[in-house]
Amino acid sequence: MVEIPSRGAVIERWRDSGGGVAAVYPIHHPRALWRAYGLLPVEVWGPPVTDTSRGDARLQAYTCSIVRCGLAFLESGGLGEVQLIVVPHACDSLQGLGSLLIDFAPPPQPVLTPYIPRARDASARGFLADELRRMGARLEEITGTRPDDAALLACVRAEEAADAALIELWGARRHLHRSNHDFYRLVRAREYLPAEEFVSSVRVALDARVDAAMPGPGVLLSGLLPEPMALLEVLDRAGAVVVLDDYACSGRRHYPAGASEDPWERMAERLLGGPPDPTLGHPIGQRVDHLVAGCERTGVEAVVFHGVKFCEPERFDLPMVRAGLEERLGLPCVDLEVDLASPLAHQAITRIEALVEGLS
Amino acid sequence: MSLYGTARYHLNVSLVGRGFLRWQRMQLERKLANPRPHEHMGPPIVTAAELKELISRHYLQGQYANGHMPVAWVTSGAPVEFLQALGYFLLYPENHGAVCGIRRKGGEYCGDAEDLGYSRDICSYARTDIGAVMTGKTPVGRLPRPDLLVCCTNICQTVLYWYRVLAEHFGCPLVIIDTPFVYQQAEDHAVDWVKRQIEQAVEVAERVAGRSLDPVKLREVTQLSRDAVDLWMQVLDRCQHRPAPMTAFDAFIQLAPIVEMRGKAFTVAYYQRLLDALDQRIEQGVWALKDERIRLVWDNLPIWHRMRWLGERFAERGVALVASTYTNAWGELAPLIDPAKPIDSGARTYLHAILNRSTGYKLGVITQLLSDYHADGVVLHSDRSCKPYSVGQIDQRGRLVGAEGVPALLLEADHNDQRSFSEEQVAARLDAFIEILED
Repeated sequence: MVEIPSRGAVIERWRDSGGGVAAVYPIHHPRALWRAYGLLPVEVWGPPVTDTSRGDARLQAYTCSIVRCGLAFLESGGLGEVQLIVVPHACDSLQGLGSLLIDFAPPPQPVLTPYIPRARDASARGFLADELRRMGARLEEITGTRPDDAALLACVRAEEAADAALIELWGARRHLHRSNHDFYRLVRAREYLPAEEFVSSVRVALDARVDAAMPGPGVLLSGLLPEPMALLEVLDRAGAVVVLDDYACSGRRHYPAGASEDPWERMAERLLGGPPDPTLGHPIGQRVDHLVAGCERTGVEAVVFHGVKFCEPERFDLPMVRAGLEERLGLPCVDLEVDLASPLAHQAITRIEALVEGLS
Repeated sequence: MSLYGTARYHLNVSLVGRGFLRWQRMQLERKLANPRPHEHMGPPIVTAAELKELISRHYLQGQYANGHMPVAWVTSGAPVEFLQALGYFLLYPENHGAVCGIRRKGGEYCGDAEDLGYSRDICSYARTDIGAVMTGKTPVGRLPRPDLLVCCTNICQTVLYWYRVLAEHFGCPLVIIDTPFVYQQAEDHAVDWVKRQIEQAVEVAERVAGRSLDPVKLREVTQLSRDAVDLWMQVLDRCQHRPAPMTAFDAFIQLAPIVEMRGKAFTVAYYQRLLDALDQRIEQGVWALKDERIRLVWDNLPIWHRMRWLGERFAERGVALVASTYTNAWGELAPLIDPAKPIDSGARTYLHAILNRSTGYKLGVITQLLSDYHADGVVLHSDRSCKPYSVGQIDQRGRLVGAEGVPALLLEADHNDQRSFSEEQVAARLDAFIEILED
């Protein structure tokens, strides 16, 4: 059994050891960079079911709930103990959040807004490496420290090990007899555990793997994040196993190891080398090919598209991605749309149950 | 390109089409010479007939462009000078969306896209376009099939998702020009990267067109762009006159050539005539409203499907919309355009589009317009379909009302989907706002 500490416990322990914390909003960001400057990146995906009234006071109702919850959490003091706030540019809503924090609602901490390019060629990598160097210069001002390239490269390698462990964990999914809910607690610990600790936790989990595969129909989950986590409990009760994941918070961040010995170039290489993601401008066909290959490899029998209301990157791709999976693999699909500030609707539960029942 | 395509184009556009459109223009000009008096509004601007001819000719050219010239579909904020110089016909899906909106077809086409699985929560321009593309419906006859898609993210990220859908559908190359968002100031590495992307875009466009870009031609086109943008700014500036010779409702319509016909000599000539017409109105005391009592600034896109309704409602109450951040956006970058360095200056120009800049910068533009145009208040259209424009408006309004002491109204609507518009609610809010301004 793997003991997974809570975010609060990890932050407390990290701070007690003299480290600082960077609160990082979705989606893609250079974890190694924050770590090299002594800051533990702790991601802020919502958090769900927050009282959004403070966020609603600044954002229109048609803004996605990740941003509304995220702003509400910050405004209600939820990030009071962190040293840095990072809002990577991912979409129009997160762009708006970053801009609001700089112009109209500045928190006490500095706010960084790295731009992740929507291209993957050499010029995009060069731009991103420069952008990360610019972030580094700001971090130097903020923390008063300056890691040398060797120290930065060591942090990059530690994150590569953690990403490799995450990929290995998914590869062994069927042989880890853990509920979907438990499995995702470990997967999502990547959002806040130090890389080394995450690798250790994954090792413990992998040591418990058995030859016999878990029974139950395999499911692909696609969306931004598995919240409300009641969704996973519904799948557990129905006897389905999530064997493949296309969530922005996890499956779309299986970054490969880099090749460059320059740490800045290597971080850029990694961030742009991940799986297809609508926010990074990958062609939809490439996404479909990637998901079809994954479904075939893992034996997916059904797909749950699990989007957040008002999330444009997800909603634009959905019709073509869904059609691709239905036409090429004959997979049944359901499309659920949730608001992080609300519990999972009973209608959604019924639809998932019906989907899984239809497979047996 | 084929001989048949070229012959078909010239027959339908240069011969029959041109004659018909000229006749139609003359008819309209006759009407405009003796306009039916309106109780609250001044006479229409005399160039209205010519503008209609320009826009109609543009879409007519589009109908017959395939086979005669390469066709690119481009986002409204994309650098287009190199495409014009390469002889592309340019179609702007957003402008087509606006045409659909004005003709009250937006809701229908959005519904068609929704039937295909596209969520009602995505941008209504995109749904209008996807609905039109997938069903073949359009009020402009027929849209040409693109040989190339050019998407620049300086207006929103939505276009990135939208053009990926178009690229899948049409199976043609998609060029993305990604413009890092300017939170505070544009960084040098961002400007350099945009420049490299434009250079790469030129290579793709050359390959698709089968011809090389002539640098002399590019400089000429860029000069024409600059001239048109300069004139456009002067046109808008005429509304600083109290009373105003035209309103932002006129400007929303007059905007079409600067968006979709930038880099053309006839566009420069048209805006010169428009400027002359406005100067003449000022000289003769002909105003947009017969009794202008209140002057307002409009923020965000227009509500295309309610232009007439809104225009008349404002006019009845003596309210002139004298400026808008939207129309201003097409002129404010003029000083950055350097025809001698079209690509270098293009990178900087297109990076600084208002929608690629911070919420604080947008507030600065609003306050500047309030001052320059002697306006009494602001209407911020909270546009359900345009998050980059709308996020931040609640704080902008707060600052305007608080620190600046300027009356400001946040008006919920959607620029193209009339189904997301409550006429009674909007009317009640506008009336209440105008009452405050009258006090």
